[in-house]
Amino acid sequence: MEPFVFRQCVNILKATGRKANSLRRMRNEIALVSDESIYHHAYHYFLKEHLMEYTNDFAHWAGESLEERALAEQLSNIDPYDFKSIIDLRKEFLNVIDRYLERFPEPREVIAGDEFYFNETITIIYPAGVWVKNLAEFLMVLKYINAGSIYFHFYEARIRLGSGIDDFSQWISHSAGKKELAERIRSIDLFMHNIEEIREYIAGVIEEDLKEEMEFTGSGK
Amino acid sequence: MIEQYAAMASRGDILLLQRLGERLSGRSFLHINSTFAGGGVAEILNRMVPIFKELGINTRWEVIEGDAPFFDITKKIHNALQGNAENITDDMWQYYIETNRKNVSRIEPGADAVLIHDPQPLPLIEQKNSGKWIWRCHIDMSNPAKFVFDYLKQFCVKFDAAIFSVSKFSRAIGINEFIIAPSIDPLSEKNRDLTDDEIRATLEKYQIPADRPVILQVSRFDRFKDPIGVIKAFRFVKKYNNSILILAGSPATDDPEGEAVLNEVREYAGNDPDIYILMLPPFSDREINALQSIATVILQKSVKEGFGLTVSEAMWKGKPVIGGAAGGIPIQISHGVTGFLVHSIEGAAFRIRQILNNPEMARWMGEKAREHVRQNFLITRQVRDYLAVWYYLENKGKNILEM
Repeated sequence: MEPFVFRQCVNILKATGRKANSLRRMRNEIALVSDESIYHHAYHYFLKEHLMEYTNDFAHWAGESLEERALAEQLSNIDPYDFKSIIDLRKEFLNVIDRYLERFPEPREVIAGDEFYFNETITIIYPAGVWVKNLAEFLMVLKYINAGSIYFHFYEARIRLGSGIDDFSQWISHSAGKKELAERIRSIDLFMHNIEEIREYIAGVIEEDLKEEMEFTGSGK
Repeated sequence: MIEQYAAMASRGDILLLQRLGERLSGRSFLHINSTFAGGGVAEILNRMVPIFKELGINTRWEVIEGDAPFFDITKKIHNALQGNAENITDDMWQYYIETNRKNVSRIEPGADAVLIHDPQPLPLIEQKNSGKWIWRCHIDMSNPAKFVFDYLKQFCVKFDAAIFSVSKFSRAIGINEFIIAPSIDPLSEKNRDLTDDEIRATLEKYQIPADRPVILQVSRFDRFKDPIGVIKAFRFVKKYNNSILILAGSPATDDPEGEAVLNEVREYAGNDPDIYILMLPPFSDREINALQSIATVILQKSVKEGFGLTVSEAMWKGKPVIGGAAGGIPIQISHGVTGFLVHSIEGAAFRIRQILNNPEMARWMGEKAREHVRQNFLITRQVRDYLAVWYYLENKGKNILEM
């Protein structure tokens, strides 16, 4: 079996110098900022500690600072993993905001200090110093590995590999030969869980699978 | 030393620190600021320099020397960058630049990486002929006096990068700008685990009863920290919950208003036996630690704030913190997860009652708070980030770096 090498990533925030204090300004900036900035604000939300109220930074700002709840809900409904490129994802954010601006009166500006700051990240990827060669070992490491490693393999991989598939289920399917288990892991609704809940869920289904396998072997079947 | 931190910091941070250390080992790293003692910058450098050295990086820490007029000028510059109206004349600017020039031969500002802290040594950038130069601005520059910032910009643009603590403190300078939060040291007197005897000694010293929940705010007596607002919130709470309030602060020599605010606070508290106003002597780190350790809920009800690291200090003690949504406080408190953000006195009172009445919620919130600090606000993370910026500058243009 091909071993699974755990890696992890760390993001260092880099300012773009661009900011928005109103929805229209936000819209215009989303049209102009770098792909890296759209990427950061759309995909890195889950690395931050939040109540699961929104799914990206734009929605969070619309809800908390602009206090436009409907807009926040609509922005939260955008699944960044549905898009093959940042260009398309950027268009979708703009469409949602444009539609909102057509239908509703223009929201007030945010109070000073609540502006949206557009950032990018520098990502450093490095080995987590651990590799495993079977599912039982995988489970053991998964329970304790840094959240940054789960983020890298479970969220970031979908973009990196371009296939929308995470590293964990890929390895479980191909190397551990457990297609059904891989499917169960792929069926998780990413947006309804934070990283710790994802860890717990994956560990749970693997544990179940291993237990079933042991019972099966133990019963002599 | 790193071993000691490894016992409590994020394992991922320690791993990356070591990797970055391997890449930068044997290189030279120079830090320059304006004081060896006093203030958060000196405090953190005292702890950071040995870590850099242990990683094999040839680290030097130099301090620029100046006379009283120089520091008067730099204080004005500092205040102006924080938004105060200050008058800085051409002669003052010349004195500021000249004093920096006089420091050149003693400091020898050359290294593979040079980190200039705050505006006092900023003109030393004129000595740059090699290496990566980074300006670390610890100040809230969200609303600087324009003419002062415009003048300093001539120096800023010559750096390879600038680092700010919070996005909203940054300015569009046109160079690489990073957002790196400050950090606390878990091994320091202010943050280490205290023994029961040490905690008891503090309670006895200040005659604090241990029979009721304690609501605490640790801060200078400064209107921006809203101590009167805290007392007002406490009065709402007292109608429902038998508890005590402690307002603890130290005198700040550079704050002429401190005395007046303290008197206002004392007067407002009147002779309420449940309100303890403690003026702690300077360097009362252990006492502050003890008070935070026994508190049920900790407030930082600032209406204007820099980064507000006292929030992380309190969270590190496993306490739910109620903070004003100002400065860097929202970066530390994730509302409803690691504490509560409030926007009014009434909001503060409501959240205090909520925590006092839900010990189970307070417990898990405190646990989450400590974990959040462990992952994001310990010194090892800040060392990691500084080295990452240096490494990035040497691999210019790559937003993704594999190590």
